[in-house]
Amino acid sequence: MNRLLIVFLTLLVSSVFAHTNLGEQASSIKASGKVFHESISIIRKIHPEFLRHKRDKTLRQGVRTDEYSLKGCVSCHVNKDKTNNQYYSVDKKGQFCSDCHEQVSVSLDCFSCHRTIPKEGSL
Amino acid sequence: MSNIRFEQIEGKSLGFYALVAGLGGLVLAALGSAYYMEHHGHFVTGMSNRIVWGMPHVFALFLIVTASGALNVASISSVFNKKLYKPLSRLSGLVALSLLASGLMVLVLDLGHPDRLIVVMTEYNFKSIFAWNIILYNGFFVVVAVYLWLLFERRMNKFSRKAGLVAFGWRLILTTGTGSIFGFLVAKQAYDAVIMAPMFIIMSFAFGLAFFILILISSCQWTNRPLGDAVVNRLSNLLGVFVAAVMYFVTVYHLGNLYLAENTGVENFILFDGGIYTKLFWYGQIILGGFIPMALIYHPATKGNRSMLGLASVLIIIGGLIQLYVIIIGGQAYPMELFPGKEILEGYGGVAQYSASLPEIFLGIGGVALAIIAVTFLVKFLAFLPESLADNVVQNK
Amino acid sequence: MNKTLNRRDFIKTTSATTIGVATVASGITLTTFASTNKVPVTNEKRWGMLIDTNKLTEAGIDGMVSACQEEQGWGSELHSTGSQKPGWIKKLKVKDKATGKVSNLALMCQHCEEPPCVDVCPTNASMKREDGIVLVDKHLCIGCRYCMMACPYDARSFVHEALRNQKEHMPRGKGTVESCTMCVHKVDKGEVPACVASVNSDAVIFGDLYDASSKINQTLRTVQSAQIRADLNLNTGVRYSGI
Repeated sequence: MNRLLIVFLTLLVSSVFAHTNLGEQASSIKASGKVFHESISIIRKIHPEFLRHKRDKTLRQGVRTDEYSLKGCVSCHVNKDKTNNQYYSVDKKGQFCSDCHEQVSVSLDCFSCHRTIPKEGSL
Repeated sequence: MSNIRFEQIEGKSLGFYALVAGLGGLVLAALGSAYYMEHHGHFVTGMSNRIVWGMPHVFALFLIVTASGALNVASISSVFNKKLYKPLSRLSGLVALSLLASGLMVLVLDLGHPDRLIVVMTEYNFKSIFAWNIILYNGFFVVVAVYLWLLFERRMNKFSRKAGLVAFGWRLILTTGTGSIFGFLVAKQAYDAVIMAPMFIIMSFAFGLAFFILILISSCQWTNRPLGDAVVNRLSNLLGVFVAAVMYFVTVYHLGNLYLAENTGVENFILFDGGIYTKLFWYGQIILGGFIPMALIYHPATKGNRSMLGLASVLIIIGGLIQLYVIIIGGQAYPMELFPGKEILEGYGGVAQYSASLPEIFLGIGGVALAIIAVTFLVKFLAFLPESLADNVVQNK
Repeated sequence: MNKTLNRRDFIKTTSATTIGVATVASGITLTTFASTNKVPVTNEKRWGMLIDTNKLTEAGIDGMVSACQEEQGWGSELHSTGSQKPGWIKKLKVKDKATGKVSNLALMCQHCEEPPCVDVCPTNASMKREDGIVLVDKHLCIGCRYCMMACPYDARSFVHEALRNQKEHMPRGKGTVESCTMCVHKVDKGEVPACVASVNSDAVIFGDLYDASSKINQTLRTVQSAQIRADLNLNTGVRYSGI
């Protein structure tokens, strides 16, 4: 029974990811054939744990490495509006984060506080 | 004692539905207000960085304090073995649970992130009085629910006294915890007094009993159940004693504070020159919520008059809300003593302004409505109310 | 058919995942940020600040306030009223009742060793790092504002409205409490807080209170300094001289 459920969920999740809007930098990395996330399925499934682990280390212990930094996610997966050279927020409808989160109906609480586009001055 | 019979109310009359509809409307208004506040953020309220707790907290703490007090009637019957109160135990437990649930609803809906309620249950800071209170509140639900079950289940009746004892102990600790929310705040001159905890306990006695009396009188009247003078007069006397006790504690609290030079500033503010807070203290808390109810209860002209007792109870409740307003808002409005011996000319200080916004008030009133609606519904589905409280029934056992 | 995932299968799957995680973890590196602290901070350091009110001018304090706003991105809220707007650092003018001496000072989170805000927080959101910096973990903050009731310095603010376009290093959002972070993001990179940097004299000194060779430690040994509300025994990290 559980296996069926897993198969079903995997199908569901893959169907969601099939048309994901990857974001500019991420798309070009993918196109160049370089590997960034060694296992896509792992990063898809447990990125919340990575981020949570990272956030506690950074905030509470002052460990500031680039690994699993939310800033990194945003800067790589963000898209730019070609007409006015402005970034779209990653949590905007149809953008990288909200694209999947909306389809699987999982709310994400990162961006009531975190910046949704790369920092000022970075292109 | 076994000849006391309990029965559900019929709950089919037009009056019943009108009551439920009216209260339901108020609850919906509260939910709407909470949504409005959460959606926009707290800028739509009167609260600020100086008055961080506003009207919702006045109502929430009032309801929580009243909840533990409403259990008193049950406690008197079980702890002190007063048979006269025995038939009232079930209703007493029900009112207590309903009030606590409503108080917590108001408190939670005012949070900046009510959506993170799960964090409250998973992350405990055991140094925090608040965290302790969360445990105490949850425990209160369990203890009182078990107590009610023992009362309802005939085979278990014999254990109900012991459970009542536990519930009584628990509610004392709970109100101590509620009072300590303020009592342990060193930062603000108006708080930081150990007497806060016992004062809150005695306040809970008075407010809780007043609320209980109103529920009892109106439910007996609306369902045509006999309610004899024996019960009513006993409760009335008790209420008078509790109100007097509250006034005693208020006096001691303020006299004690006046004696300490560091607190004379805030005392003068509340007692003499605090504008609205001084008016609320003297006219609202002391006269309306203290002297007038005492007069109504003890004066020969009004003594034993049920409508006057009801009026006294209403005034005690209003006075209680005002008292919490003075404590919570008044205590924050007066500036903290950042530099003893110095005067702050600029940057901080002055009396903080607060005027409650409509959503805050709706949220608070909705909490009270929720408590009443819960009682109204549950007496329809379970036999909380005795069939008769006529003198010959309660006295000839 | 096997209806339940048995224990052995469960362990197999989880350990497979764990190995996977470890592999991915080593695989991820992104554009390198200038940095950085790779080990947890310890209590061998205690960050602190000494503000000399005799040397600090009013303009200097205004500069500190705007440097803080610029760095952390607060103060441009659209809907909040004056008393609802955040104030991480503010300018205070204080007059001695006996001598009439007027001093100006900057007041912000005092980074207490025994912070009342941390004691009262029900969810551990208010926290003190090992190196003495007091912060709000906004992931855990439920917005109850009990810490604001408890703070003797009026140092904390509640975010009363939804925000966008926050600073990348300083997440802030509606319904949570915030206060001076002692620019922890800069301190962890070996820099000084923005307000300290904005003052071009030694009117404000930042450093490790424990380090006997640090300027702040040495100055505190020689000049007379005070803690605000020293009577509360909170042992603040921010000290003042000249008041």
